[in-house]
Amino acid sequence: MTIEGLKRIDENRIEIPKDYKAGMKTNGIIFVDSALEKALEAGSVAQVANVATLPGIVGSSLAMPDIHTGYGFAIGGVAAFDLKEGIISPGGVGYDIN
Amino acid sequence: MEVLHSEIPSGVGSKGKIRLGPESERKLLLKGARWAVEEGYGDISDLERIESGGCIEGANPDLISQKAYERGRAQQGTLGSGNHFLEIQYVDEIYDEKSANALGLFEGQVTVMIHTGSRGFGHQVCTDFLEVMERAVKKYNIELPDKELACAPFNSSEAQDYLAAMRAAANYAWANRQCIMHWTREAFLRVFMAAPKELGMSLIYDVAHNIAKIEEHVVHGKKMKLIVHRKGATRAFPPGHLELPDIYKHIGQPVLIPGDMGRASVVLIGTEKAMSETFGSTCHGAGRVMSRHQAIRQAKGRSIYREMEDKGIIVRSAGRETLAEEMSEAYKDIANVVDVVHNAGISKKVARLRPMGVVKG
Repeated sequence: MTIEGLKRIDENRIEIPKDYKAGMKTNGIIFVDSALEKALEAGSVAQVANVATLPGIVGSSLAMPDIHTGYGFAIGGVAAFDLKEGIISPGGVGYDIN
Repeated sequence: MEVLHSEIPSGVGSKGKIRLGPESERKLLLKGARWAVEEGYGDISDLERIESGGCIEGANPDLISQKAYERGRAQQGTLGSGNHFLEIQYVDEIYDEKSANALGLFEGQVTVMIHTGSRGFGHQVCTDFLEVMERAVKKYNIELPDKELACAPFNSSEAQDYLAAMRAAANYAWANRQCIMHWTREAFLRVFMAAPKELGMSLIYDVAHNIAKIEEHVVHGKKMKLIVHRKGATRAFPPGHLELPDIYKHIGQPVLIPGDMGRASVVLIGTEKAMSETFGSTCHGAGRVMSRHQAIRQAKGRSIYREMEDKGIIVRSAGRETLAEEMSEAYKDIANVVDVVHNAGISKKVARLRPMGVVKG
């Protein structure tokens, strides 16, 4: 399945542009080659974009090639937040802590 | 495999052989794997080979609900169910000789991999604080595209409380794996009549993949302290990083990527590029392609146990359903996942490990 609106950066990365969804403060980057891109779920891509809307996010909303849909945040996701402006979210860690 | 399966409690809601009083419970949550070593589970030299020394500071046992305590009490020292496992593996391919040497890995060598976490304890901490955060979202007027992203401003009391409770759960997980590693060594001692040191059963590394940590990163040329969330992502710090033990400083942080039970797992090391592009992070596993329900449907009429045995892999599992959920086809091929992070340069392949025996919950 191909998901509309994603841009390939290079062989190993695709970008979710900042204008992909209203409210995104930064872009999303998912580490996938063209084969794994086909396995992407629309739900997990939407989750990477959603994380990019959160207050105080620094850099891109990132996801690794083992990405799949999780509670709020995609599993395989990495997101860094500023200590002054940013947030912390239990969904960004998940139920299986550590 | 029989000894391992009987020595290491596994399965949904499995109960362990550790009985904790209130005092030792608190110590465990404050000290993590350090508590386990002090109680005689393993060796002091294990600790430097664990992320954060197996003990993250700032945990607060007072912020844990009664329910979390109840769920966690009997589950310390248990493997659990789902994708958690203990595997006996062998090294079948070395990609990076120098790093493999530093980790003590060579072709044909036997390894043990343990994949488990904070069990029902951490699950309950997450559940409890999702409620707290749902209230915080209203209180601080945070606009969210999805209510599952419930969060609180980092400096709020809600956020600080979650951080301290999550750290307690992280320490619970480190203590859990330390105990299980200890019993694994004991099982080998019983079967082979040789001490862990003689068998070379030293810890290579223990790393988390579901955690939020305060870390220093360089952003646009400026050093910044950030709260880095890794959910199904593994820390992958580069050579020379202050958090690495001396023995690994020259190669970078070991990264353990468990694959599905039929294919392989991979050891990698962290790189500078991970530091500059992904806040020092890489992948954490194969990633599911089928939901648990789909997998169970697809496995109808098949014996996954027999299929694994035909591949030469012995499985000991409490449940038929777990085996179906965990069959290889339910996951992406780990080789494809790891090739992407390797080719992107955010970690570097060191060795591939093939399963020989699997204990599943």
